[in-house]
Amino acid sequence: MHTPADPVVAARDIGRSYGTRRALDGLTLDVPAGSVFGLLGPNGSGKSTFISILAAMETPPEGELRVFGSKPAPALRARLGTVFQENTSDPLMTVMETLRLAGRLFGVSGERFRQRSMELLTAFGLEARAKDPVSSLSGGMRRRLEMARALLHDPELLLLDEPTTGVDPEERRALWGALLERERGSRTILIATNDLAEADSVCDVVAFIQAGRVVAKGTPAELKAGLRREALRVTWEQPSEQQLAVVRSWPGAGEVTLADGVVHISVDDASSFAPLLFELAPGAIRAVSIDTSTLEDAYFQHVGQRARVTAEVTA
Amino acid sequence: MSSFSAWSAMFVRDMQSVLRSRSQLYSSMLTPLLFLVFLGNGVSKGLSPSKLTAGDFTAYLVAGTVVMTSVFSATFSSASFYRDRDSGVLRMLLSSPHSARVVLFGKSLAGVCIGVVQALIVLAVAAPFVGFEWQYGIITGFITAIAVVLLLNIMLAGLAQALASRVQTMQGFHLIMNLALFPLLFFSGAFYPVHDLPMWLEVLARVNPLSYAVDALELSAYARSASGFWGLGLDFAVLGGVAVLVYLLGLTRTPRLTWSGK
Repeated sequence: MHTPADPVVAARDIGRSYGTRRALDGLTLDVPAGSVFGLLGPNGSGKSTFISILAAMETPPEGELRVFGSKPAPALRARLGTVFQENTSDPLMTVMETLRLAGRLFGVSGERFRQRSMELLTAFGLEARAKDPVSSLSGGMRRRLEMARALLHDPELLLLDEPTTGVDPEERRALWGALLERERGSRTILIATNDLAEADSVCDVVAFIQAGRVVAKGTPAELKAGLRREALRVTWEQPSEQQLAVVRSWPGAGEVTLADGVVHISVDDASSFAPLLFELAPGAIRAVSIDTSTLEDAYFQHVGQRARVTAEVTA
Repeated sequence: MSSFSAWSAMFVRDMQSVLRSRSQLYSSMLTPLLFLVFLGNGVSKGLSPSKLTAGDFTAYLVAGTVVMTSVFSATFSSASFYRDRDSGVLRMLLSSPHSARVVLFGKSLAGVCIGVVQALIVLAVAAPFVGFEWQYGIITGFITAIAVVLLLNIMLAGLAQALASRVQTMQGFHLIMNLALFPLLFFSGAFYPVHDLPMWLEVLARVNPLSYAVDALELSAYARSASGFWGLGLDFAVLGGVAVLVYLLGLTRTPRLTWSGK
């Protein structure tokens, strides 16, 4: 019997293969009820596969999975709202027709549909575009429509698979503002993303996933707590392994990683490190920036794939 | 939330979609009509075919034209599976609490409906201008034609759906549809009577379900008597049986969500 205090999603050793490729490999996690839960990982780490399995759109995986205490099944989808990585609205339909179709598929009709659709169109700033074809909407508006569509039937669990892909920063802010202002606490939200800054600002709990398994989990604050206070980002021309080993040996130095010609060093006091770097590699240091440690630093510490993910995050 | 609500929503949505694609809507009726006007008149006047049981070749060709319209319509309607998959809509539809069959049923129903309406428009447009005999009377003949066209479109929708769920690309789908259906049209009696043909052609016509649709349509509108035709009883038995089987086959498999099917 599933109680409101139980995790909405309980996954134990979930495995899923496509041919010889292992998309999920022993993924274990609990998603607490009412939380905004972030699933972070590079492309291909298994996030979307896990969302598809939760939505009962994939064949039953290995391991044990419970959503609201039950095995994922088509009937359970009535309690889920899903925003997929790609847009799922027919460009030939209008905004209102898109919502009406979703309403009929999810059993929202009549007065409830009218009320709910107007409420959501207003919340997501689409009320003036209700009669416009989806093809005339900007990328950000389409994502907002996806969000409104997923929320129409008032789902208890909202699954968001990279919901802000292709959305500019202003639109992102508007989208998250509209969503979290209304929905935080009223339902459980599971977000799969590789945008670390976004996850840092919106998620209550975060799990880092790599190669189909969870490598770290906690609140953003907990995950950052183990880090040094500051992060040095050093544009360094061809540092040698010996030079990096020297940096690691300095008192107060934490994680030292190299990606795309940039050396990331977590430290307690960055200002004392900068002169040492210039002494160590005179002429090779092009730029040094000092930041406070972020979820990104925690992520790289756990996942250790800085190069790949940096490329994806900045792409 | 009822399945009725879901499949009727799909039906309405696909109907809207087709009605908005004007070029698709008109071309699938105009092409057969042009065929009828030019080939029908050309052969009728230029070659004066003597083996026809009644009327001229243009009148004879109407049944084949109606079948051809249904074939075009089913092909176009089923392309919506690929459009829905590529635009991501299929993913949203399959994330609803209903089974994939409910979604497919609503979509195919819209395809059948459009096909029937288009085929009957072609029949209604042609009827006043050609020498139909209406051996059972106009009303009974037209009602019989509606029943034939309905069964034919159910069969074609099932076939198109079965193919769309198994062929990955729209280009491949069109290729296979054309490869399968054009020969079937040629061996169906759509363009010439299949009686008194060489044995191998007559055998092909006998095993071709489209032949029974052509035969039934000829009997309901064009023919002066049942002589020289297979008969409505056999036509409806074959068409009905094949339509049910093929339509159920079309519902057995969900179209793939992605190129890789994963």
